[in-house]
Amino acid sequence: MNQNRISLNHIVWFLVLAGFLADAALADADRPNVALFTTGGTIQSKGDHRQKLMEYNAGKVTPQELLDDLPELKEVANIQVTEISNIGSGGIDAKLQLKLAKAINAALARPDVSGAVVTHGTTTLEETAYFLNLVVKSDKPVVVVGAMRPFTAVSRDGPFNLYNAVRVASSPKSKGLGVMIMLNDEINAARDTTKTNTYHMETFVARDMGPLGYADSDQLVFYRRPIYRHTFKSEFDISKLDDLPRVDVTYAYQESDGAAINAFVAAGAKGVVLTGSDADAVKKGQSKGVVFVQSDRKGAGRVVESERSAQRGIVTSDNLNPQKARVLLRLALTKTTDPKEIQRMFNEY
Amino acid sequence: MSIDMRTSVIRAGVRGAVASIVLLAACVPVFAQEIPKYAPPPPMPAAGTKLPHVVLMSMGGTIASRATSRLNITAYGGPGVPRVDPEDWYRDEPELAGIARITLEDQRAPQDRKSGTETQEDFARVSKRLNELAADPSVDGVVVTHGTNTMAEVAWYMNLTVKTDKPIVFVGSQRPWSGLSGDGPRNLYDAVRVAASKGARGKGVLHCMNQFINTARDVDKTSAYRVNTFQGVDVGVLGFADPDQVKFYREPLRRHTDGSEFAGKVFDTLPAVEVAYAYREAPGYLIDAMVANGVKGIVIEGTGAGSAISGDGKQTDAIKRAQEKGVVVVMTARTQGGRVQDNPRRRESKIVPGDNLLPEKARILLQLALTKTTDLAEITRIFNEY
Repeated sequence: MNQNRISLNHIVWFLVLAGFLADAALADADRPNVALFTTGGTIQSKGDHRQKLMEYNAGKVTPQELLDDLPELKEVANIQVTEISNIGSGGIDAKLQLKLAKAINAALARPDVSGAVVTHGTTTLEETAYFLNLVVKSDKPVVVVGAMRPFTAVSRDGPFNLYNAVRVASSPKSKGLGVMIMLNDEINAARDTTKTNTYHMETFVARDMGPLGYADSDQLVFYRRPIYRHTFKSEFDISKLDDLPRVDVTYAYQESDGAAINAFVAAGAKGVVLTGSDADAVKKGQSKGVVFVQSDRKGAGRVVESERSAQRGIVTSDNLNPQKARVLLRLALTKTTDPKEIQRMFNEY
Repeated sequence: MSIDMRTSVIRAGVRGAVASIVLLAACVPVFAQEIPKYAPPPPMPAAGTKLPHVVLMSMGGTIASRATSRLNITAYGGPGVPRVDPEDWYRDEPELAGIARITLEDQRAPQDRKSGTETQEDFARVSKRLNELAADPSVDGVVVTHGTNTMAEVAWYMNLTVKTDKPIVFVGSQRPWSGLSGDGPRNLYDAVRVAASKGARGKGVLHCMNQFINTARDVDKTSAYRVNTFQGVDVGVLGFADPDQVKFYREPLRRHTDGSEFAGKVFDTLPAVEVAYAYREAPGYLIDAMVANGVKGIVIEGTGAGSAISGDGKQTDAIKRAQEKGVVVVMTARTQGGRVQDNPRRRESKIVPGDNLLPEKARILLQLALTKTTDLAEITRIFNEY
């Protein structure tokens, strides 16, 4: 009798459990699959106490810790994690960027994957995001996310940023908008967004242009679509590349001269992004095949195309800031060294 | 009359005449726009060049105003100071003819009315006219001038009611046509460039001042007198009218012009909708008064994330009374940025979230929505789509 009751109990529990599992399996299949690539950064950093918002060197957060910390993600999407690196963004180089881009392209080529999320340090986040914007071969959303406060801090922004990034990456609304940056509830376009503040959480701003939309609690809302070429409309192909040409950036200030330009050329730069200029050094560099792009240190507004710069064989950067102009010039140099052709690219991307 | 007296009368007369001449000489030049004569106008295209056809329509504004001193940039116009006619713009700035074939059109309210006193009658007339111009195959684009104080609302109304994919560009100026360092001429020139550009097509009604190209939906006047007053709230500009070219970076995703369900229709009158501002202790009787006056809708310019003031005799009680009489209530936020979100509590209290529209723009959308329906779900859809 007793035994019978136990077995009946067992059966009931088994049925309940089976029901749960079936539910879970069904829900898993219903939810979109999002590929998460982790590279490190503040979002994956630990401080030695929870009020520590700087110099957080007390350890790294593994991808699994990120996911365990945010069980709510399961309601949004099934996450498949790939660890690319676990370093601050100051250490991200061309090789890592290429590894990341190839991994994203492979993931998004799978029909069952809805989108990709990349964790990244904020310092050079905009550069990797713009790079991906130029080389990802898909109209599926790619969202680069970071945090201004470490994993261990009170009032940390990382978890909600990551949650929102996964929402954006799994939504059909986000298709075809290029690579996006997700912090502070704002959905920003990779091309136009720059880090504008060292420690504040509203640091990523698309000057002049503003965000594409918001990840609000009631819905993801989009107001804008970028016009410049990106992702699935881009001509750049990195599938056979394992490094990128060296391109350096000069900073302009009163009395700055050609010393930096000459040194970069001597170090083997194939391209130099200028914020100021020095006519002699540029001419010398050009005679060695170096391509020069004129950008600006102001942080907003276009460098307009002019007859004078065209005559001097200097490409104008549109409104790309120097670090973004560098990203585009590196990719351009994988295809051509013709300033006219590179100017076309700067007008289109 | 003694000789002395006669002499003094003559002297006075001469003085008067001289003074009048000096006065005239002082007045006449400052009535014109201060266009520097130190450099020639830009080269004109060769004869026979096919330029786009742009209609330059005046609805007046500071850009169509003069003062008697070029340092007067705040209290211009008024009795005895003639306004700037469209022909004056064209005469003062002949280089407009180098970028488009211009047709001038005057849609100003009568001389004795200021731009802020236009009524729905004027907006309906201009909307109808813009629909006609848009349907005219010979027209490539339209530039509309307007006073800056309410131009964002007028542009938004046209954005919802004109059926076209041709560029319609609103422009104004912060300083009168006669003002020193007036922004009008370059704004006008840039607006015509934008209206003549291919990139401006299909982007809804646009706004161009200070080299920024903004959407009618999102643009707002943010400073009383600075020339950089117009900003795209939250979402920024679509592009720039830069010295070398007109450049677009974004296209708007919300429904407009061609895609608007209100486009092509003429609304001679619109249902009454008023705006109630929320502030500490804001009373309910202002809302009661609106209802007593027969409003069909009320836009609340709420605090923070979109709240009315609650408490005995305060706004939330009055909102309930208004709703019982069938008045539709939309919530916006006085933060001038960010969205009023949809949430269960708001739905329970039957308040339509106004997205990130400014209250004056939410008012216009609600007026148009109420021409079709009073259903809250349907009006919420409209606020989500436009």
